[in-house]
Parts: sequence; structure tokens; C-alpha cells
Amino acid sequence: MTEEKEKNPEIVGFACSFCTFKASEMAGSLRMKYPDGIKLIQVPCSSRVDPAFVIKAILDGADGAFVAGCHPGDCHFIKGNYFTRRKIAALKEMFDAFSMKDKLRLFWVSAAEARRFVEKVTAMYGDIKEKKNAG
Amino acid sequence: MLGKMIGKVALERTLGKFLEDDSHLVLGFEEKGKEVGHRIFKNDLKGFTLVNPFFSANGALYLRRLFSKGAEIILMLRPCEIRAYHELVKLNQIEAEKIVAVSIDCAGASSLKDPGKPRTACQSCREKRGVIGDAGIRFDAKGVPWLLPYTEKGEEFTRLIEGEAEEIPPFPDKEERGTEKFSTNMEAFSEELAHCIMCRNCKAMCPVCYCIDCVFNGDEYLPKGDALLNKVFRSGSLEMPQGKELFHMIRMFHVSQVCVGCGACEEACPQGIPLTKYFKGVSERLQSMFSYMSGRSLEEEIPYLSFQEDELKDAED
Ligand code: SF4
Ligand code: SF4
Ligand code: SF4
Repeated sequence: MTEEKEKNPEIVGFACSFCTFKASEMAGSLRMKYPDGIKLIQVPCSSRVDPAFVIKAILDGADGAFVAGCHPGDCHFIKGNYFTRRKIAALKEMFDAFSMKDKLRLFWVSAAEARRFVEKVTAMYGDIKEKKNAG
Repeated sequence: MLGKMIGKVALERTLGKFLEDDSHLVLGFEEKGKEVGHRIFKNDLKGFTLVNPFFSANGALYLRRLFSKGAEIILMLRPCEIRAYHELVKLNQIEAEKIVAVSIDCAGASSLKDPGKPRTACQSCREKRGVIGDAGIRFDAKGVPWLLPYTEKGEEFTRLIEGEAEEIPPFPDKEERGTEKFSTNMEAFSEELAHCIMCRNCKAMCPVCYCIDCVFNGDEYLPKGDALLNKVFRSGSLEMPQGKELFHMIRMFHVSQVCVGCGACEEACPQGIPLTKYFKGVSERLQSMFSYMSGRSLEEEIPYLSFQEDELKDAED
């Protein structure tokens, strides 16, 4: 397959402004690269992400979506990400019921973990790109 | 366990006495010729019946946003209706203080659209027994009804009925079938939604889909007018009516922990879309992750409103 024909996925990421979004900014300032197809949306807390946002992103054409926040126990709002985990775990189960489980991921990335952020999103991008170009 | 054998006459006499007070009401079924439907009885019980062979709506729907007004109400409904009532209480949509909820053993019901045939929801019903709520009415092997109290309020209600409580007999319960994990794919789903006209009747008649300001009220999720054209200019031609999958899947997630699988959505659909299998199937999968069963009890917390610190490690990537 030639370079031009390769399909590049678009992935919508909902990132908590207190940690994962900060990590993405740090990755930028450290000149670490991650794929252009990763579109970040800053949210005040990962628990602000109504699964409706994720469903809309996917049904409106995103190839994948992720929700990312502070590690459990480190939430800026104390308990927000525990609720995130329940909701997103359930959403994954629902995606599984519709045979599209691989479109959704949940990451914990703290503000200091620029490298972890880049690794997580690049890996997800790679997997989805491979699938998109396989069929 | 103790309960009271109750003839129809004794039960009706008791409910009749309860209704003598002007602030007392009974929500149950009324027989009207060949039809049976819901009625809120005030003052008298004319037409009252314990069983309703048809399912048109879930009675809990009518209780949404019920904040007492001083009324005392006895609910004489099916298990799926009492379960929906429980969820609404937990969601602060009903004040339960002056309500006595009695669930009645249910033999399943058929659709008004297809009389005689058991509905999808009833064929795979998770709880047909009158074991939900403050009290239950169960039928013994001979078909005689028994009243069984489950809570303090239920005890009080049972005391209103004449006679001594006695040891209850075994009830002829059928073995509950284990449900298979529901699974489908987007292509099949879209195909089944082909005739959906987005009237949203399914949403309107769902007892537990209660938000006053639904996310689908504005133009954000299902744009209209300029917002719609903007969307077309941005991303290309659009099928009309648009957003069928989006609407149903968002609603499906939103009701996932509280859906009681009653099939009222499907009943309400003018287009005959088989909604129950999706809503019930998905919600059962999502509830079982938390060993939750919607409406089983008033005490169990709705999973999305709670958490454990150490859980669901598998969900983290
Ligand atoms: S869903 Fe269950 S409780 Fe409700 S009418 Fe059908 S069998 Fe009865
Ligand atoms: S989604 Fe359908 S099956 Fe579930 S509670 Fe609402 S009306 Fe009943
Ligand atoms: S009631 Fe039927 S036609 Fe109307 S929105 Fe629901 S599924 Fe679509």
C-alpha cells in the first residue's frame, strides 16, 4: 500500500484538565510527538464525560475515543474518577454488546506523565490504524 | 414466613375501607368490558381487578415527580411496575413515605397489538413473582391469593385485612432461566431501526427515563435548522431522520442501570421496532457487572451513583 492510500484514523480523547491534558501540554513542550489524528477535548474532570459524548463522537465518525483522567485516588475533585471508572467500564460493556469494544479506552495519566500519555495514545492510534487499513 | 390468605372479597373490602378516606388512593387495574387498564381509584373500587392480561404502559410512569400532596397511595401493580417505582424513588422522583407498594404475581402479559401472544419482555422477564415492594400477592398451587408483608409498611397493610396470619404455603415458581449475554452489531441494529421515525414515543413511555431536560430537547445532539445545515456543510450528506442510532444508544446507556426490562418502550412504538431486546439485553449486561438488578430493592444503590475504591481493574487500559 502506498503512503497516500493509507487511511489515517481520527480519535477523540476526553482529557481531564488537571492531569491528562496537562500531560499532553508537557509532552508538547518537551517536543514529544504523538499522532495528529488524536483530537483532545479538555474537560474539567473525567467524570464530566457523559458517555453520551463518547457515543456521539463514535457515531459521528470518530474511529475511536478515549477518556483519560487522574489515577484513582488522585482526583482533583477527590472521587470523580471512581465514578468515571464505573461509567466507562459499563460503556465498554455496552460497546462490546455492539461488537465495537476496541473503539474505546480508559487511561489514567497524571500531569507529570508526559511519556505515558504519548505511549498510551500512540499505541491506541496504531492499533486502530492497523484495523482501519486491514479491511 | 407468615402471610394471609385473602379472598378477592376480603381484599376488596379492605381496599374499599382504605378508600373511605378522601386522601387515600389505590393505583391498580380496572376491568372495563374486554379491556383492562390502569386506574387511580378514589373513594370506591368499582371495576378493580388484580390481574391484567395486557401490557400497555408501565404504571410507575404515572408516578413520576410525585411529591405526595398529602395523599396516601396503595400500589397494586405488576413486579416490573413496582421495580420501576423503586428506581424512581432512588432517583428522588417519587416520595415513598406515604406509598405502600404491593407487587402481584404476574403470569406475563400480551401486547394490545397482538393479544394472546406473550410479549418479548415477559418471555424473558427476570422477576415475575410478587416478591417486590412492601408486600406481595402470590398465588398458591390452587390459584388462591396470599398477601405477604415484606416491610413495616407491608405489615401494617396486612393487618388491615381480616383474619390471622398463617404459615405460607410453597408457591409454584417456575425455574428462572439464566439469560444469555446479549450481543449484536451496528449493522444489525441500524437495519432494525430502518423504520424508526424518531417520534420518541419510546422515550416518553419509559417509566425510568425521567429527565425533564432531555439531552435530545435542544439542537446539540440532533441538530435542526441552521445547526443542521452547518453539520451537513461540515461533514457531508445526512440521512433523514438522522441520529436514530445515536438517540437509542444514548438513551440505552442513560437507562442502563435502571431499565426494568418491562418493554413499555416497544409497546409504545408505532413502527414495531423490537426495542426490548436491545434495551433489556444491554441493561442486563451492564447491571450484572455490578451484581445489580434494577428495582429489586429500595436499599441497593444505583451503581453509577456509587463506587468501590478497588474494582474494575480490567476496564483500565
Ligand atoms: S415484564 Fe415481567 S412483570 Fe412485567 S408484565 Fe411481563 S412478566 Fe409481568
Ligand atoms: S427502556 Fe424500555 S424496557 Fe427499559 S424500563 Fe424503559 S420502557 Fe421498560
Ligand atoms: S417509538 Fe419507535 S419510531 Fe418512535 S422513536 Fe422510538 S423506536 Fe423510533
